[in-house]
Formats: sequence, C-alpha cells, structure tokens
Amino acid sequence: MTIFTRRSVLRSSLAVAAAGTLARPFIANAAAKTATVWWTQGFVPEEDAAFKRIVDEYQKASGNTIDFSLIPFAPLMQKIVSAITSGDVPDLISHDINDQVVVPQNAWDDKIVDASDVIDTQKANYHPTVYLGTQYYNSVTKKRAGYLIPFKTAVLPFHVWTPLVEKAGFKLSDAPKTWDAFWDFFKPMQAKLRDTGMRNVYSMGLQCTTTGPADGNNMFHHFLIANGGNGIVTKDGKAHLDDPQIKEAVIKSLIYITKAYKDGYVPSGALSWNDADDNNAFHSKLFVMDLDGTISTEVAIKDKDERSQVATLGLGNKNDGTPMTAELGIGGAFIPKGAKAIDVAKEFMTYLIKPEVSNGFLKEGLGRWLPTMPSIVKSDPFWTSGDPQVKAYAAEGMLSDTVANYPVFNPGWAEVNAQQVWGAAEADVIRNGMTPEQATDAAFKKIEAILGKYPIAQT
Amino acid sequence: MASASVIDVGRPAARRRSFLSGLRGSLQGSEYAWAIAFCIPYVGVFIAFVCFPVVYGLWLGHSPSLYIELLHDPIYQQTIVNTILYLAIGVNVKMFLALLLSGFFMRKGWWVKGLLMIYVLPWAVPALPTFISIHWMLNTEWGLVNNVIWDAFHVDGPGWLDTSRWLALGSVIVTYIWKNMPFWTVILLAGRMAIPQELYEAAEVDGATGIRRFIHVSFPLLANLYLVCTLLSTIFTLGDFNTAYFISGGGPALSTHVLATLGIRDAFEIARPQLGVAAVLSALPLMIPLVITLMHKLRTSDVQL
Repeated sequence: MTIFTRRSVLRSSLAVAAAGTLARPFIANAAAKTATVWWTQGFVPEEDAAFKRIVDEYQKASGNTIDFSLIPFAPLMQKIVSAITSGDVPDLISHDINDQVVVPQNAWDDKIVDASDVIDTQKANYHPTVYLGTQYYNSVTKKRAGYLIPFKTAVLPFHVWTPLVEKAGFKLSDAPKTWDAFWDFFKPMQAKLRDTGMRNVYSMGLQCTTTGPADGNNMFHHFLIANGGNGIVTKDGKAHLDDPQIKEAVIKSLIYITKAYKDGYVPSGALSWNDADDNNAFHSKLFVMDLDGTISTEVAIKDKDERSQVATLGLGNKNDGTPMTAELGIGGAFIPKGAKAIDVAKEFMTYLIKPEVSNGFLKEGLGRWLPTMPSIVKSDPFWTSGDPQVKAYAAEGMLSDTVANYPVFNPGWAEVNAQQVWGAAEADVIRNGMTPEQATDAAFKKIEAILGKYPIAQT
Repeated sequence: MASASVIDVGRPAARRRSFLSGLRGSLQGSEYAWAIAFCIPYVGVFIAFVCFPVVYGLWLGHSPSLYIELLHDPIYQQTIVNTILYLAIGVNVKMFLALLLSGFFMRKGWWVKGLLMIYVLPWAVPALPTFISIHWMLNTEWGLVNNVIWDAFHVDGPGWLDTSRWLALGSVIVTYIWKNMPFWTVILLAGRMAIPQELYEAAEVDGATGIRRFIHVSFPLLANLYLVCTLLSTIFTLGDFNTAYFISGGGPALSTHVLATLGIRDAFEIARPQLGVAAVLSALPLMIPLVITLMHKLRTSDVQL
C-alpha cells in the first residue's frame, strides 16, 4: 500500500509538472500533421457545408487533419487581432476582409509567412487583378510578396427591388447607363411610392456610414472611380492627393452622396449602418436599390419568388461615358508567422485553390463569392447562363474591367478604410456644416498623415 | 557582502524573525509548508488572470506616442466629453432618483412590495436583449416610438439615434439610468431599513416630520452609503461598454462613443490593439483617485450604517 506523505505529494507534483514541460515538444511534433484553421462562418449554411466537404476531401487525400473553427465575421476579426498581437496564432486564417484590414498591416510588419510558392501554382490562371491583389509590401524585406492566398472574389453589383420600381410607374429597362444618371433615375420613385401609402420608403441605400467596416468605403470608392478618381493611389503605393482631377473626383462624389442624404433619399440611419444593416434594410424594403458587395442580399432570400424580384445589375458607365471599373475584393487566407504547421496549411491551400476544387466550393456556397479565375467563369455555365443574378455578378467581377482594393498598393490605405475617412467626410458635410471642399481637405489631411507612416521603397 | 550588511543593518535579526513568525501565525512545522502548498494554486490563478492581464495591458499601452495620437484625434476628444457627461449625468441622476425612490419603497402596503418587484425587472432581465430592443424601438423608420408618434400626431418622430449627437447620447444615458436605477434603489432601501426606528420617533417628538425628517435624520445617516454607492457606480460606469455600444453603437458619425467603446473600436475595428488599450488606460487618472477615495471611505472608522 502506498503511503502519501507531504514530501511524496510535492515530489510527485513536481515530477508531473516537469514531465509535462519536457514532453511538450514531442506532443507538438506528434501533431505536426494537424493544422489549426480559423475560417469565416458563411452568410448562408451552404457555404459552411461546402467548406466542411472540402476539408473532408483534403483530409482523406492527404492524411493530414484540419482542425478548423468557423467563426462569425466580427468575432473572428477580434480573434485575429488578439492572436497576432499576443503571438499565439493558428496555422491558417481566412477572413472575408483579410485583403482590406488584416493582411496589409501585418505583411508590412513582417508578421505573415510568404506564400508565393502556393499562389504561384495558379499564377497562370488567376485574374490579373487577383494576382496583383496578393502582392503586399513588407517593410522589413523592402519588397512585395504573395501574402494572401486567394480563393474567392467579390464585386459590388446594384440590387434593385423590381416590384417597387414598377409600383412607382417606372421600367428598369429605361434606367440610364451613366453613373449619376443611373442613381438619379430612382429618386422620383420615392415620392411616387409614398403616394401609394408606403410611408417609410426611400430611393437608395447609400452607405454614407462611419461604422463600416467595408460597405461605406467600397461605395465611396465606386463613386470616386465613376468620377475619374481611381488614381488616388497607384500600384507603386503613392497617393496622388495633389492631383486636381483626383480632388475634383472626391468633391463630386461627396456632393452627390451628401446631397442625396440631405434631400431625404437615403434612410437617416445610414450614417451609422454596419455592413449588415443595409442588407437588413433592403430585405425590409426600406429602399428601392443599393450598391453592395457580393450577392449575399439575394442568396439570403430563401423564397424563390421573392428572390426573383431582385434585379442584380452590373455597373454601367462612369460619368464620362466610359465603362465603369469595379473594385475587386479578394477573399483569401494567410499563414501568420509563428504558425506551427506551415507545411500543412500551405498544402491545404494549394489544394483549395485548384480550379476544379475552388469552383465546386464556390458553387456549393450558392455563388455568393466569385471565382478567382476568368477561365472558370467562362467554362462553367453556372456562372454565365444559369441564375440571372449570378450571371450579372460574375460578368461584372470576372469578365469586366476591375481594380484591386487600394490597401494592396499601400497598407496605409487599410487604416484609411478602418478610420472610415470617407464616411467621416460625408458626416462632416451632412452634420457638421462643412462644404464638400472643406471636407475633402480635412480628409486629405488625415490620409496624408496616415500614409506618411508607410513609406514604400521604390525600386 | 555589501548588500547583506545593508539588510542586516536595516532589518535586525530579531525583527526579521518576528516578521517570519508573524507570517507563520500559529502554524507549526509541516503545517506551514502545507499552507503554502495550498496557497500556490490560488496565487498562480491570481498571477495568471489578474496580474498578467493588467501588466500586459499596461505594457501594450505604455508608449507615450499613443497618448499623443489620441489627444490629437477629434473622436477621442469628443469621447472624453461624452464619458464625462455619461458619468456626471447618468450616475448622479440615477443615484438621486434611487435615493428618492428608496424612500417611496419604504412605505407599507402589499401594492408597494408588488410595485417594487416590477420595478426591479429592468435590472433583473439580461442586459443585451433589452438594449437591442430599445435600439430597435428607437429606429427612425420602423421603431415603436416613432410609430406611436405617427399614430398619435401624424408627424414623423426624430431620428433618435441617427442624426443628433445629443439625442443619441441622451438615449444612451436614459437607458443606462433605466437599467441600473433599480439595483441602487434596493441598496439604498436596505440602508434606510437599517436606520433604527427610534431615531425617527425621537425626531418626530422634536417636530421633524416629512422633508425635515429626511434632511435631518435619513440623509445624514445615509450620506456615507450614498457616497460609497456613487463612487462604486462611477467606477462601474466608467467601464460600461454595453449600453453605449448596443444603444447608439457610438453613432451617429462616431459622436457618442465612450472610452470603453472607443477602446474596442480602436483595438479591433482599426486593428490597433495598442491604441485601444491606451484609450481605455487614459481613464486611469480618474479611476485611481476614485478607487483611493472609495478605499478611504470604506475604512471601518468611517462606517455609519
């Protein structure tokens, strides 16, 4: 019979603690074939199911294990920031706005593993804008490299309730093609609809918000592009705030957006909308149309008849009559430095970005996200001749002219976006009595201060 | 050797022995070792979950440049004003009304007890569903409040949370008072119940009734409790994230943030955790004097009730 004494208990406890400490490296080595993955929870259950299927397939094929967590959009962002700050990171992280928020800053800070070897396996297939959108600047190595492994993309199409257009006595086919005129087309509908007894209905869901994270910036950038201001920041990372054309484009954009709000064509709550609020407002038919990223608005409508009442439209022309350029959002994953199973993470992503694998993954997710390769869209009828909403969306994103999100050119732009500089400028005009010119100057001052922290070496 | 001699000079052996024996108390031999062994897990937990987070937070927010950046940020400046208003109006109005209502709930009668039960409901129910409900009720287009205004007067109600900073901040403060007042009312009610009835009877003999009884008997005896409750409530409220976040969300146009919500915004929306921690730590110059004053008031010699 064992007799426990104080000394024996303390000695045994110390022995267990020491054994645990010494055994840890071996336990970690034994689990080297397991990758911990954080993934954004889908907007619809089908997206999660598609991811689980891909994981199953990969695990069967490789023998590795993907230990994944599907986490909602906002909490995942908090986990990512906390993990990178503390250094206790998973092996692979995918977030819907990695391209705009997480990767630019952390690539700059040299906190992300260079995944060029993974990305280059599909370099020939990727859309040029997609490939460009993977190349972030690292301030330690002083060069750009592939830090974001892309497997999906998105653009902002217009979403229109056709029954509301018709109820107001208009035909969508009569809508003009140029940017401002297209938006103006919907303004008279508000009064007509209110005359029919719809008290709380507005023409447009312009996201002139300071809350974000993404919609307000995306919407403003499209106005900027439509007004000829796309060159506000160029591929070399330089901002061109002293270019009169850029300044004029910003002012014109601010004038249109703030006037529409002040004239009452936009719900007053838009000043504080988050990225889900405009979707909810659209679903409750609070306004006739909006410009919003992905076709999440459409796929969230489960009733087929109701969903068919939403027209999904591409972007038409800029105000100068030339074809509009869409901003292409790139959904991807990255491997943070400190990850233990880098090889498994890279192998999993190499598998996922294969054309046939990623296409199946995105189709199973109802086409809310687009492929990264034009060849997929051109060769698969799902994207070109099936659902008219998917067709319009895919044509805008993969078959038309696109531009990468600005943070890939200069990581400072990620902070410009996060600070909601454009939303603040809109609020300055709407609430604080500034003229659009004054608000533009204030915004430029903020942008200059932010970008000043990110000097990019020119090679 | 030099250090040993300094210690020896500074702390004579007899004094060191008395310090150690003070630590040991009446424990003998192995009991002392066992006592230490049993304390170790708790000390470990305290270090891991109290000391480490606090020190890590201080380390994250230690750079002076963060505070310079905050001071130049107009949103932070507005946030400081909001936080002061939130504390000054929210806490004081709440505590004053709680003091008055605690007097009302001292009345006898079954209906008063029934009313008290209903009155504490806002405090008893979970905070987030109620805040979200109030947020929806204040929605400009389809919220309950504006629909009632429309039905009653056929005019559109204001954009409670949408356009005016003061309306939105006011909505946050009113919700805060509504949510927290019942708790402090009950605390002050308990304080009132502890006042001996004989004092009131003696005061009545001296002609002190009604408001004079409150001024000369109740309030002096409750004053210390009231002050301690106000200090505690101020400390709680300084760290209150939920009310502002779920009622106004910091809007419109970032004009109703308080320090707790701005810290989260800076840390996770702007993805700059150091800046977020600095925003929260900037409350320390107010928090530390509050805690010191509270500790001072809690000295046993000052206790009245």
